[in-house]
Amino acid sequence: MDKKLEVKNLQISFRTQGGIVKAVRNISFDLYKGETLAIVGESGSGKSVTSKAIMGILAGNSIVEGGEILYDGQDLLKISEEDYHKIRGDKIAMIFQDPMSSLNPIMRVGQQLTEAMILKAKTGKKNAKNAFNGLLKLLGEKINAYDTQYGENNAATVEANIKEFDSFCIESTKIEELFNDAYGQATQLEVDAENLVLLLKKNVKVDLVNELKSILKLLTESIHPYVIADSVDVQNYITKLTELTSVKYLENSAEIIELVSSVDKLAEEALKQEKPNFFTLGYYKLKNPEVNLDSINVSEMNKMTRDYLDENFMLDFIKMAEKGVKYSHEESMRIKKETLPLIDEVLAYFENGEINEKKSKEIVKPLVQKVDSAIDRLIIKKNSTEYVFHSAIEGSIREYFNGVKRNPIEEKIYLKNQAKYQKLIDSGKSPDWVLKPQIVVDLDLKLENICKVLKHLKDSYLKDIETESVFSINEKVIDVIDYLKEQASKLVVKMTKQIAKAKAIKLMEEVGIPEPKIRFNQYPFEFSGGMRQRIVIAIALSANPDILICDEPTTALDVTIQAQILELINQIKKDRNLSVIFITHNLGVVANMADRIGVMYAGKIVEYGTSEDVFYEPAHPYTWALLSSMPDLETSERLESIPGTPPNMIYPPKGDAFAARNKYALDIDFELEPPMFEITDTHFAATWLLHPNAPKVEMPKIIQERINRMKKGRE
Amino acid sequence: MENKEVLLKVENLQQYFKSGKYENRAVDKVSFEVYKGEVFGLVGESGCGKTTTGRSIIRLYDITGGSVYYKGERICAGTRSYKDAIAKAKKDLKEGLITEEQFVEIYEANKVEIEMAKADHKKWRRTNKGNNLINEIQMIFQDPIASLDPRMTVRDIIAEGLIIRGIKDKDYIDQQVYKILDTVGLVQEHASRYPHEFSGGQRQRIGIARAIIMNPELIIADEPISALDVSIQAQVINLLHELSEKMGLTILFIAHDLAVVKYFSDRIAVMYFGKIVELATSDELFKHPFHPYTRSLLSAIPVPDPITEKNRKRVTYNPMLDHDYSSEAPTMREVYPGHFVLCNTEEFERYQKECEETK
Repeated sequence: MDKKLEVKNLQISFRTQGGIVKAVRNISFDLYKGETLAIVGESGSGKSVTSKAIMGILAGNSIVEGGEILYDGQDLLKISEEDYHKIRGDKIAMIFQDPMSSLNPIMRVGQQLTEAMILKAKTGKKNAKNAFNGLLKLLGEKINAYDTQYGENNAATVEANIKEFDSFCIESTKIEELFNDAYGQATQLEVDAENLVLLLKKNVKVDLVNELKSILKLLTESIHPYVIADSVDVQNYITKLTELTSVKYLENSAEIIELVSSVDKLAEEALKQEKPNFFTLGYYKLKNPEVNLDSINVSEMNKMTRDYLDENFMLDFIKMAEKGVKYSHEESMRIKKETLPLIDEVLAYFENGEINEKKSKEIVKPLVQKVDSAIDRLIIKKNSTEYVFHSAIEGSIREYFNGVKRNPIEEKIYLKNQAKYQKLIDSGKSPDWVLKPQIVVDLDLKLENICKVLKHLKDSYLKDIETESVFSINEKVIDVIDYLKEQASKLVVKMTKQIAKAKAIKLMEEVGIPEPKIRFNQYPFEFSGGMRQRIVIAIALSANPDILICDEPTTALDVTIQAQILELINQIKKDRNLSVIFITHNLGVVANMADRIGVMYAGKIVEYGTSEDVFYEPAHPYTWALLSSMPDLETSERLESIPGTPPNMIYPPKGDAFAARNKYALDIDFELEPPMFEITDTHFAATWLLHPNAPKVEMPKIIQERINRMKKGRE
Repeated sequence: MENKEVLLKVENLQQYFKSGKYENRAVDKVSFEVYKGEVFGLVGESGCGKTTTGRSIIRLYDITGGSVYYKGERICAGTRSYKDAIAKAKKDLKEGLITEEQFVEIYEANKVEIEMAKADHKKWRRTNKGNNLINEIQMIFQDPIASLDPRMTVRDIIAEGLIIRGIKDKDYIDQQVYKILDTVGLVQEHASRYPHEFSGGQRQRIGIARAIIMNPELIIADEPISALDVSIQAQVINLLHELSEKMGLTILFIAHDLAVVKYFSDRIAVMYFGKIVELATSDELFKHPFHPYTRSLLSAIPVPDPITEKNRKRVTYNPMLDHDYSSEAPTMREVYPGHFVLCNTEEFERYQKECEETK
């Protein structure tokens, strides 16, 4: 499966008056394409902080102590705010607990929905152009390098081919642009005409001449062979409209209504038509500029142009591009194999422990260069570990040595303050200020982070070398061409207010809002809680994100509405193949949603597994406690509540954080933190009870009975 | 059931709010009885009037119509129904359906009722003097943070009720506060702290302590656990359970989480848009739900079981499609002893048939 997002060793703290609160302590998880990962825990367990870190909206007093959040070849913790704009909302969207607080109360719902679409279209064009040109140039370079390696010189043909590819892509985009213009006008025509028909039928007074004029203008502008094809009917409408609008004043009549509604029908049908394949059409037009294809059926034309392109150009081009991809891949593998001993060397140096700043920077520098040059940039799906290695290693080394420099100073300040404080107390006064705890960097942890970065790189290289035999060059070439195609068509995306409105209405229908055309112009306060949450979901989906983060989306809603919203999120996930991170404190809600579940406590993931694992074979005492503290419809005996409250994370407890509230705690739980024990391939839990030497402890009777009952109920 | 003592009796309770030109019928002719020592659950979606019902009973609102009896005394009374009767009589008189004498008779009778209702309503006003009957009803609110004064210490918050009652002996008050703190699982040191120093569950305990220090017989718990974490919810439910057993409390439990209500209550009433649509013992209600709204509500409960959950079919409720009340308006009927459903004759017969088949 495709990894969409990787969170590695994430550690986040907050600087507060009382000291440093360690909110998230070293958690790691992966998110795959099309799955739902649920994060469950009490309030204060760090689940919201994790999601906010992914969105890049942590509070100002937060410190990211370490770790990586890898998405599409970038480390989200280290990129600049400018770069984040391209990801936040666009690629990763979020739904919050209270729908009212995430909607603007004084903006109409429709405006809030279309705002992002229009903004996105503007910035998208520039990025697409850069990506297209850069990749094509790189491909040419790699092909030439391959030829040089085998003593051939095809530079001229390669250049010609690349140029041809470029020029027919430009031709395609030109055709697509014309089409998009007409299509946009047709969208507007459909909305306007339908609106006018409604008004006329209700006999509302309108400036009919002007309205008809604008419809006439839109109709003439949307004439395009693949939108509203020029025909006798269309010419008839145009002449009729011209006649009608030549006078100064018009009365509403059945004839006009019929005319406008038939125009509306025309536009509606035009929008439903199959679109031509511009990529192939562009090539055909470039080669045969004089041939007129207007009369041919669109799907037939698509087939014909496609065959034409494959025969005359594409198959050759793919063969040529394969050389480039192959060269690039082989080169990268060669450097990777070379780099492996170097990684070991650097790793040994850091693991040794005796390091100094100058030496470590020196030793890392060549490695960074090697890794950068080993990246195979022709692979569209980026391997994030390689891409972020540079910033990750330099960042963690900097943090370590900052700590080395800063710690003695902090300690000095602290000692000074402490002495002052003690003096006041000794002299019998009660000081009116609080002694702030010292802010020291945990050097061991930082050093461990450096080693982890190196180890991750090594693992990723070893995996690449292992899977080299199954590497399919043809697949990668198709990927490259698809990517180029996509970028080319992004260049001419047209997004006017009308198109955005039409899209928004479609989206509102998708999330189950009745009468979207009326709802479009309403304010958030006119919606009920469930409908508001639907609007928020629609806004989140408007930019077509990859990842949807839901932070307690149903906690503020009641049971029936909650069930509806959960069904909606599930449906959308299936339709769009979204990856969802679902955060909640209610395990019952999760059973329906999640493919995998992570149970968090005190900033750590204590149990991690598929939903069947966690519900049918829970292993961690905290999961037991969560399950047994919620009654289901059959429960009649006393609930087993969790005694006490979560620990104060300014002073994280020694050993297992849950030990103090855990009636199954062993002595070792108060001494040493348990590692993640693997129960099955998919199921992990951090509790000493799973250690082979631990006494055998059964899960509480109440859960065992419930699970048995559930199993029985199914049979 | 029949032998049980009725502690609280709500009869045709109406609570209307004016919003602009129209009247918002938050609670529309709701009737039920709460027996001594039981936990009576009131469920429904948000906005269906369950909280308003609770608040009307404890006289946080002046009710529009109907009456509430506590230990046989009428503690709230509204005049709307009598006024409506007079208005109807006037209309009938105009149309010539009744004679002048009949009208005068109706008018006089209702006028007397109105006077009596007003007198009763005034009599049981919440006063700060003496041991009032209505002080035996106390309320626990939903949001523990919003319902505690941030500038008062826990001792002040808990003792406030006693002080209002007129007790001046400080030692006695302290003694009572400490005793109550102990009962709800807090310690004496907590008395001098402020609400913000506590966790959510502890705050709700303070809210409970404030209610039970008045030695109430009836507690109206308005979603006492909705704003709390799952693990804390269990603590509070257990506490309420213990208290109701130890002190013999009667609880009117208002919530929207059906699993919790089922676990906690002896009898349950389901509300929908200001009306009670079904009332039965909790086992009976969950085994044999008759009203389509109850069925849809039950089908929406999430279960901690992935496989069942994935196959769960939610039933939707649409009053326009599910009922045909054009010929006959629905009334509360007893389908099975102790099981009431809001239905008309046709539905009543259908439900009874279903009932015989399943039993």
